[in-house]
Amino acid sequence: MSNTNIVADTDESFAKSAGKQLLIFALAAIVLVGSLMWGLQVLASMVGSSTEAAKAVDTEAQSITIAIREEPPQLNSALATDASSGFILGHVMEGLLRMSMDDQLEPAIAHSWEVTETHATFWLRDNAKWSDGEPITAQDFIFSWRTALLPENASEYAFLLYPIKNARAINEGSMSPDELGLSAPDDLTLVVELERPVAFFDKMVTFQTYLPIREDFYNATEGRFGADSWELLYSGPFMITSWVHGSSLLLERNPYYWDNERIHLNRINIGYITSDAGATLNFFKDDKIAYTTLLAENLTNALEQRWHIQREQDGTVFFIEFNHREGRVTENLNLRKAMQLVMDMEELVYKVTKLPGYIPGESLFPGWLQGVNDKFRKEYPAPQLRLNREKALEHLELAKQELGVDEIPEIVLLSGDNPISNIQSEWVQAVLKTELGIDLKIDKQIFKQRLAKMTAGDFDLVLAGWGPDYDDPLTFGDLFASWNLNNRGRYASDEMDVLIARAQESVDPRERMEAFAAIQQLAFDDVVLLPMYERGVTFVVHDQLKDVKRRVIGPEIDFTNAYVVDEDS
Amino acid sequence: MAELKLDANAFAPIHQEQEIQSISRPSLSYWQDAWIRLKANRRALISLYLIIGLLIFTFLGPVVWQVDPAQQDVDQISQPPFADRTVTLVTEYEPWYGEGAVAGEGLRFVEDPTTQYIRLVWDELPGAAGGYRVYRNLFPIGPERAYGLPLIETEPGKRFFEDRLDLQPTTYYYSIVALDAAGYETESVETISGDVTRVITPSEARGRGLLAEGENAAVGTQFRLATHPLGTDYLGRDMLARLMHGARVSLFIGFFAPLLFVLIGVIYGSIAGFVGGVGDQVLMRFADFVVALPFLLFMILFKVVFAIGPGESGIMPMLLAMVILLWPATARLVRGQILQIREEGYISASRLLGAKTNYLVLRHMIPNTMGVILVTITFAVPSAIFTEAFLSFIGMGVAPPTPSWGSMCNEGIKTMLTTPHELIFPALFISVTVLAFNLLGDGLRDALDARMRGRE
Repeated sequence: MSNTNIVADTDESFAKSAGKQLLIFALAAIVLVGSLMWGLQVLASMVGSSTEAAKAVDTEAQSITIAIREEPPQLNSALATDASSGFILGHVMEGLLRMSMDDQLEPAIAHSWEVTETHATFWLRDNAKWSDGEPITAQDFIFSWRTALLPENASEYAFLLYPIKNARAINEGSMSPDELGLSAPDDLTLVVELERPVAFFDKMVTFQTYLPIREDFYNATEGRFGADSWELLYSGPFMITSWVHGSSLLLERNPYYWDNERIHLNRINIGYITSDAGATLNFFKDDKIAYTTLLAENLTNALEQRWHIQREQDGTVFFIEFNHREGRVTENLNLRKAMQLVMDMEELVYKVTKLPGYIPGESLFPGWLQGVNDKFRKEYPAPQLRLNREKALEHLELAKQELGVDEIPEIVLLSGDNPISNIQSEWVQAVLKTELGIDLKIDKQIFKQRLAKMTAGDFDLVLAGWGPDYDDPLTFGDLFASWNLNNRGRYASDEMDVLIARAQESVDPRERMEAFAAIQQLAFDDVVLLPMYERGVTFVVHDQLKDVKRRVIGPEIDFTNAYVVDEDS
Repeated sequence: MAELKLDANAFAPIHQEQEIQSISRPSLSYWQDAWIRLKANRRALISLYLIIGLLIFTFLGPVVWQVDPAQQDVDQISQPPFADRTVTLVTEYEPWYGEGAVAGEGLRFVEDPTTQYIRLVWDELPGAAGGYRVYRNLFPIGPERAYGLPLIETEPGKRFFEDRLDLQPTTYYYSIVALDAAGYETESVETISGDVTRVITPSEARGRGLLAEGENAAVGTQFRLATHPLGTDYLGRDMLARLMHGARVSLFIGFFAPLLFVLIGVIYGSIAGFVGGVGDQVLMRFADFVVALPFLLFMILFKVVFAIGPGESGIMPMLLAMVILLWPATARLVRGQILQIREEGYISASRLLGAKTNYLVLRHMIPNTMGVILVTITFAVPSAIFTEAFLSFIGMGVAPPTPSWGSMCNEGIKTMLTTPHELIFPALFISVTVLAFNLLGDGLRDALDARMRGRE
């Protein structure tokens, strides 16, 4: 019957027409989507041009736009602890002294200063003014520091003020705030009585907790000081003129700032608050922000864009700490030496951790610390370790004899519970097993638990990190003092204690740095710890923006000296 | 009266006439007819084959391709399909401290670059009072003087560097820039480029199973690394295995959720349609209320209620939210059908003949709504798959390392520009699956429509 033929015919033509239909639909869809995207782009550019936030840098107006990760919770310098607050405060406030572009101390509100073993004296300049035109006096510093120390304010950074006489007792509530060792013979002189000699007290006053606060203004805000742009009084180069919570901040030049000639930027527009690294990368690519940090997964993209990538240490040093307590095998120097001679920290950083910006550790003291005139590590290079397996095995044999064992018993590595710690501890495990035949057990713990175990001494090795509290080698140097509670392995040596005491008590920079160099050498010779790496960060700055400074202490990125140049220069 | 003579023949049965009108072909049931018409629809048929193929891929695939989707192959990270897999054996790593003179001038490699290490030495550059900074780039250095990734700063006297940072078998462009005394970069720069060969040490080869324990091979022996037909993702995991396992999650949600909510919708809708009147009104207004509830919000609420934190699987709350919120559409459709069928003549006839309610519903109403229900299911499947993909894409679906097509897209989009295959494959699977189900649904709708019965 012909019926089947008809079916076959229509079947074929149907398939054809169906295919044609599909093709037409696909084409129509592509055209539609394309035109829609184009239309949206046109629309976006029309909307975008009407707002100021769209441009990363503006040469004419000397204005820049940036993004920050988080909004500062508040900007009361006596209480601030987080990085965002530190960044904003570093731009809108200025203390007695500040750090220059090449990390040297610079006079700020104090035009000169003097630190002796018992006292620190600051002479304030008479033209330093608050953003309402009133002069900044010594009383403003006394008020601020006292406020930070009041027990009821519970400032987390109050301990940074402890070098001041009686500060600790006041903070702990056992002394009246009036007895704080501060005095102001006149409005422009501030005399600080020191609890003990602190050679670097002048460096400490650059920290945000040491910023001034004016008493009458503070009281007028009725407990909301620093909560909003109008509830702050500014002493620095910029002032917050607009603070849209959760969205943006606008910093503009402070007309009353004493050193306005130094400042080139008229405006820092914090146009975006996002912790999404991918989003900030796209903002940077679209020329909407002038600075962004880069993560490992964005590097290829950044290379392709031909950006000028920069690298800087973030200040923290990571190391393997030994347990030096009695009865632990790691108390044995030869065993520690054996481990030191086989652990290739370059392999750890480059092959295992594989994060850009990290550099292999050589010393307890990170490379960014200042020495007498130059970087500490340039003046006193770290002892160079040469890996040597044969020597390591010799030390291991000696260790076995001294310990009176045939095999080193299984040792415990205490480690954090995160992916990076995991791969690092597995690497340590593998190296010790293959190179020395030592069995290692990994004890993964969450941060609090790990800290508790470290304090209790329940480990043989521990992966630890130490970030600086202030800008002086002592913040790392006193870690292994027998009296330091952060010395989790309870390393105790008279030689170390003598050196640390010398570094703490002396006020002569040369003598102190010599002491730190000796500590560095001793830590290496005695294998007090095994430095793993210094954590780093990679970032890009807009090509037209010059003199941007990344800092380890204080605001992590400093735009106060920055300026915008023309595109072709 | 004439005598009627009857013989035996007269009582023979009358010859049965050949039927003039006869059904020349066997009678076709509803389903047989639907199947024939579906077969005639090539678009739907191809879609059906695609779906069957997908099911085979999902359920038989992992049996054939026995690769753990969470297994990381650190030597092959973000490799596209058909990437070069050869690897050359070298000796174990020995530390190097810049010893040994190297012939040549300027910036040069000590040995041919390999993924084990790249050793650089260079001669003194003018103005290098503050040492040198070493850069590495994946692209040639252009006039922008973007040297790439800064690796290290060295002291003026230290004119060698060993790069071991995450080396890949590709071309690297190294630059050394002289730094002035203050540490700022000067204009004096040297650049070198080199192709990196992929190498492996004997201990690594043993770890990968390329060399048997205790077996040795000469340096320079070439091996082939594990095959990854569709390449690997950013952690070196096999894309094919991940797609197969990811399909399970997608299809689980894609079949299970629609089945459940269509079932609920059918029961709810038939009750509403059959009861009618005030009961119908109440039931359908409740359905309207459920329609107004926002899906995403409920999904998040369920996650919170079940205390499912970030990094844990959100599949159960997703399923629950779908089942609870998506049934009203089916219910409305079925109710409309039931209302219509209820008034048909054959129902009245059946009722007059004494049919019970149960019989009416099961024999007449449900079978007559079956077509509608099937079509609803086929259209609900792709939308459920798509919802799963979308939620996993925004990070609310499966927990790593469990793959799902949506989460794979989410991971792939980060490296979309450099390694597009990580995004393209899962996206392709989502698109093809959703398209196949939609086309099949389209074909089924035509095939199951009783009014089109017997027509071409």
